[in-house]
Amino acid sequence: MLSIKKARQLALPILSLGASVAFTSCDSESESPSPVEENPYVVSLAMAGSDGTFTYYTVPFEDVMTGTLSAVGQGIEQPGYYDFTQIDNTIYSIGGLDDVDVVGISQGEDGQLKRIGNVSFDNSLADLIKVDDNTLLGLELSAASDVVKFHTIDANTVKVTSTKQHPVSDITELEGPSYAGMRISGNHLFLSYYISDPVTFATPYTDAAQVAVYTYPGLEFVKVIEDDRTGPIGGFNTKSGLIKDEKGDIYALSHSNPANGYSQTTQDGGILRINSGQTAFDPNYFFDVEAVTGGKNIAHLKYLGNGKALAEINAVENAAQKMWSDGPLRTAIVDLYNKTVTYIDGIPEHGGQGRRLSALHEGNFVYMVIPEENKRNYVYRIDLGSNTATKGAEVEANFVAGFFKL
Amino acid sequence: MQQHLKDIKTRVGLLVLLCFVQTAFGQVPNKASIWGKVSSPAGEGLAGVTVVLKDTRTGTTTDTQGQFRLTGLLPGTYVLQVSFLGFETQEKALLLEAAQEAELNIRLQEKAFEVQGVEVIGKSATTQVNEQAYAVTAISTKELQNSTSDAKEVLNRVSGVRVSEEGGLGSDFSFSLNGFSGDQVKFFLDGIPMGSFGSSLSLSDIPVNTIERIEVYKGVVPVWLGTDALGGAVNIVTNKKNNFLDASYAVGSFNTHRLSLNGAHTNPTTGFTFRGNVNYNYSDNNYKVWVPIKEGGNVIDSAEVERFHDRYRSANIKLETGFINRKYADNLLLGLMASGNDQQVQTGTTMGSVYGGITRNSRSMVPTLKYSKENLLVDGLNVSLFSSYSKTESEIVDTLRGVTYNWFGEATYTPGSKNAEGPSKIPTFTTLYDDELSSQFNAGYTISPKHALSFNYALTYFHRRAFDAENPEKIQNRFPNSLNKQVLGLAYKFDPSEKWSATLFSKLYFLQAKTSKEYDFGTDTRRVDAFESNKESFGYGVATSYFLLPQLQLKASYEHTYRMPWASEIFGDGLFVLPNPELGPEQSDNLNAGAAYSFSLQQDHQFMLESSFIYREAKDLIYQVVSGSPETFYNNLSKTRTLGVEGSLKYRWKERLHMGGGLTFQDITDQADSVYSLYSGYQRNFQKGYRLPNTPYLFANANAGLTFKNFLAKGAVWNMNYYYFFSEQYFLSWAKLGSQDSKKIIPTQSSHNLEISCSLNEGKYNLSAEVRNLTDARLYDKYYLQKPGRAFYLKLRYVL
Repeated sequence: MLSIKKARQLALPILSLGASVAFTSCDSESESPSPVEENPYVVSLAMAGSDGTFTYYTVPFEDVMTGTLSAVGQGIEQPGYYDFTQIDNTIYSIGGLDDVDVVGISQGEDGQLKRIGNVSFDNSLADLIKVDDNTLLGLELSAASDVVKFHTIDANTVKVTSTKQHPVSDITELEGPSYAGMRISGNHLFLSYYISDPVTFATPYTDAAQVAVYTYPGLEFVKVIEDDRTGPIGGFNTKSGLIKDEKGDIYALSHSNPANGYSQTTQDGGILRINSGQTAFDPNYFFDVEAVTGGKNIAHLKYLGNGKALAEINAVENAAQKMWSDGPLRTAIVDLYNKTVTYIDGIPEHGGQGRRLSALHEGNFVYMVIPEENKRNYVYRIDLGSNTATKGAEVEANFVAGFFKL
Repeated sequence: MQQHLKDIKTRVGLLVLLCFVQTAFGQVPNKASIWGKVSSPAGEGLAGVTVVLKDTRTGTTTDTQGQFRLTGLLPGTYVLQVSFLGFETQEKALLLEAAQEAELNIRLQEKAFEVQGVEVIGKSATTQVNEQAYAVTAISTKELQNSTSDAKEVLNRVSGVRVSEEGGLGSDFSFSLNGFSGDQVKFFLDGIPMGSFGSSLSLSDIPVNTIERIEVYKGVVPVWLGTDALGGAVNIVTNKKNNFLDASYAVGSFNTHRLSLNGAHTNPTTGFTFRGNVNYNYSDNNYKVWVPIKEGGNVIDSAEVERFHDRYRSANIKLETGFINRKYADNLLLGLMASGNDQQVQTGTTMGSVYGGITRNSRSMVPTLKYSKENLLVDGLNVSLFSSYSKTESEIVDTLRGVTYNWFGEATYTPGSKNAEGPSKIPTFTTLYDDELSSQFNAGYTISPKHALSFNYALTYFHRRAFDAENPEKIQNRFPNSLNKQVLGLAYKFDPSEKWSATLFSKLYFLQAKTSKEYDFGTDTRRVDAFESNKESFGYGVATSYFLLPQLQLKASYEHTYRMPWASEIFGDGLFVLPNPELGPEQSDNLNAGAAYSFSLQQDHQFMLESSFIYREAKDLIYQVVSGSPETFYNNLSKTRTLGVEGSLKYRWKERLHMGGGLTFQDITDQADSVYSLYSGYQRNFQKGYRLPNTPYLFANANAGLTFKNFLAKGAVWNMNYYYFFSEQYFLSWAKLGSQDSKKIIPTQSSHNLEISCSLNEGKYNLSAEVRNLTDARLYDKYYLQKPGRAFYLKLRYVL
């Protein structure tokens, strides 16, 4: 019935219809993800999209010192804005897309990464800290909100067991307390913050450090302690305003510098201490950081042990800094007891990411990802014995949001 | 910039020159007419003889002298059919040139006389539109007149077209055409840009009965549409009968009611005409959605709950009066349109946030002026002018303080909290005062049947003033927003033969935006201040079509074009869409090629095959960004590429059965080498070469229909239609990274709609019933935004 001529006439439309089918059948790629036990290093890679959004991929790797680290076909995907923190053997992602939550990422029975938890909050948690082996404490403190919420979370199930709510007006009559750090020591919880206008992000109050004190576990508001030897605690999104040592002493870092979101500076940067069992700043302890570094401030701090902490220190003094740049930075080890700063050899000056410092402390080593001048990111392993660093694998990501070992 | 401008001027000059040297033509449809007399074998005029153009909806009866006249016909081939009781039906094939006034006198033979075989090559208006050189699909709504569908639903059945809805009746929806979306695709109502009707008239407010046909231009848009649509255009052509009345009422699930009344009256001697159109839509949209149930920060369960804050109401009335078919004007019409809507807001960009107090509403008044005249002063010169001025007032209300809602509709009150519900937590009662002047002028001149020239000028001026009663001092509101867009188009059409047609065109774009933006963020000199941007661009292209065989048409077009951002993209919507004052125009090079083939087997089996291929390179694509909050904004994507193919097949058996289907595959990939982020600056783009997120890439539709006549009642026409939609799953983020099982997906979806209708007494009384989403499938269009489940609708329609 169909003549040759007719068949020819049909050929073109049918071919192009067929082409569409062929096009579609070539886009499944299935690679079985590698088990975690062989891949103990877990890196959260942040990928920027052309539309300005970010998606995070938490990927296990065997070796972080050679080759390239990539999320192609592997890793747990999380679109939105995420912050990662490891507590014991679980990585917690904090944030989300519209609906904000906390998801625990850990090693499952089969050695694969698994996700636990099904919580949802009105505002993204400012931070999540360890209380004990089975308990976590999450804080909801958003510049847009006028309430402070403490969520007690079961560490094993990632479920909220109780929530305590207080008005923001307890800690300040001013608008826009911005989270800086939170630690529990003894029967108290310490919450540090600085005032940043929620619309303009200007910081007009920089004359003193302020830390709010709550009882723990009751979570009743006690008081706000203040000290004018230095300025406010913490900086924009760095989340390292408070750290705690083995003795239970809490160290509070002030830097009030433009690179980390301060529109003015009225005090030199430094570190204060709240001794274990006390609810006041130790009047006899002050680490004048700027005196030691020659006018430079510590932007990020991560406690390592025995009074030592990993620090990212601004390479230039406040006056020479570019607003909101979180850099340029130099990596150093800070001794809180002896008040010394030792710069690490072998790490180039680099930019920060305006967020929680991601570094892995493993025995005598610290792993970090450093963006080099060519805008590519590389793993650096710091030897804490010699204070030198070795360059490792290239990371195929726009930045690294977390570096862990499970 | 100066150099660039000079370059543009030179190029425009060259093109203009080129057009005139070649002597030139007209995109403007040059309407033809047929008149004549039908007489008996004895030569007496026969009254009441039916004269129709086969396969069109045009027809008339002769007057007492036996005279008839058919006007407003597009150029093309027709078959005139003349029938009268007791006489043999006669058919005459004729070819109408543009603006031709054909005289045709017919003498009917008494029955029992053998008529010589006449070749039937009638083409409907829909077919003619399909045969333009542009990649265009015209959908006749003839078979859908009794359907409960609206314009938006009809469009969703065209291959290459996808309508993504955020919810039920009145919800925001986006439209994509071969991978272009948002305002890259422009909508026209009778050739007039729909943007100028204000925000309270949208596609879903146009019931199907008012529509004659819908033309979908894919890729290159004809100059007479005259706008900066980059991805294509949709022209909804409404009924233009001179005397009619059409009333319908539809009722359905979710307390949905839709009322439509349409009519026209024309005095044949004075040409005075009066047209009116009233629509009312209401729905509670309380359909069920599957959502997580939260308690104390934990997601304790997932449940099916009714949406509780999603009511939509809209009404519009459009009146038009003036004169038609006069010496000085074919159309001179003054109109006034008033419309309003009011809407509760249930969710933000995803269903993660649920609201119980946010509402928005809007009211518009739009006076319009239409003028058109063919053969003005000289033969072959056709001009038309359309102007409208719309005044729209919209309110955005989010004033509940310290209250949050869950999906059960339960409110939780936080004492002492001043937080509003919306994403910014800042209470607002914002009124937007929008003024928009839109004007379009077309002139077409047919130099000879082979050469024609057309010119188009479109002007849009938009002005917005905002006031927030909750925050009267809001600094952004001190600066008015305005947008001035002008597009000049010039086209030359050359038809070397009846088989071959080619159009060469150029467009010149001007954009001037005035708004405010924040300067020196985070520093002492931070301020909100006036911001102004001026852009000019020059576009050009060519479209051609060729009939390889009488039934096989090939088409190709290329265009280098620009799209200016739309007011809502730059200025936002005052609630979920944030402003981006620096949003720039989008540039693209589009190539379309396609073929259409129709044939019949054994007379009764008619087939129609269509297929096209699309290649596009776009720079600074205007793209809606879904980031980590209920808010979105528009941004420019530096470089993207679209490769697509689509095909459709239609089959018809007599007047009894029709079937069809279409498949679209579009691979829209990111081609940017680098991406920008705040702290790292420009860096390598690891997603290069991969599909854009949250964008469907493979979808299909199919339909089948049966028609029965004289079943149960004499003269009754029964129609049964079935529609199927399919969309392959796609990723919320870029496709390349992450393990497949952890990726967020918008799942594969299938939906089935069934419709049955009956029309009695020659279409005077009509009744139809429809069930949508027959299988009660869980359907999403955007990430986690669920659409209604199974729903039933009933429609009554009366036509006079």
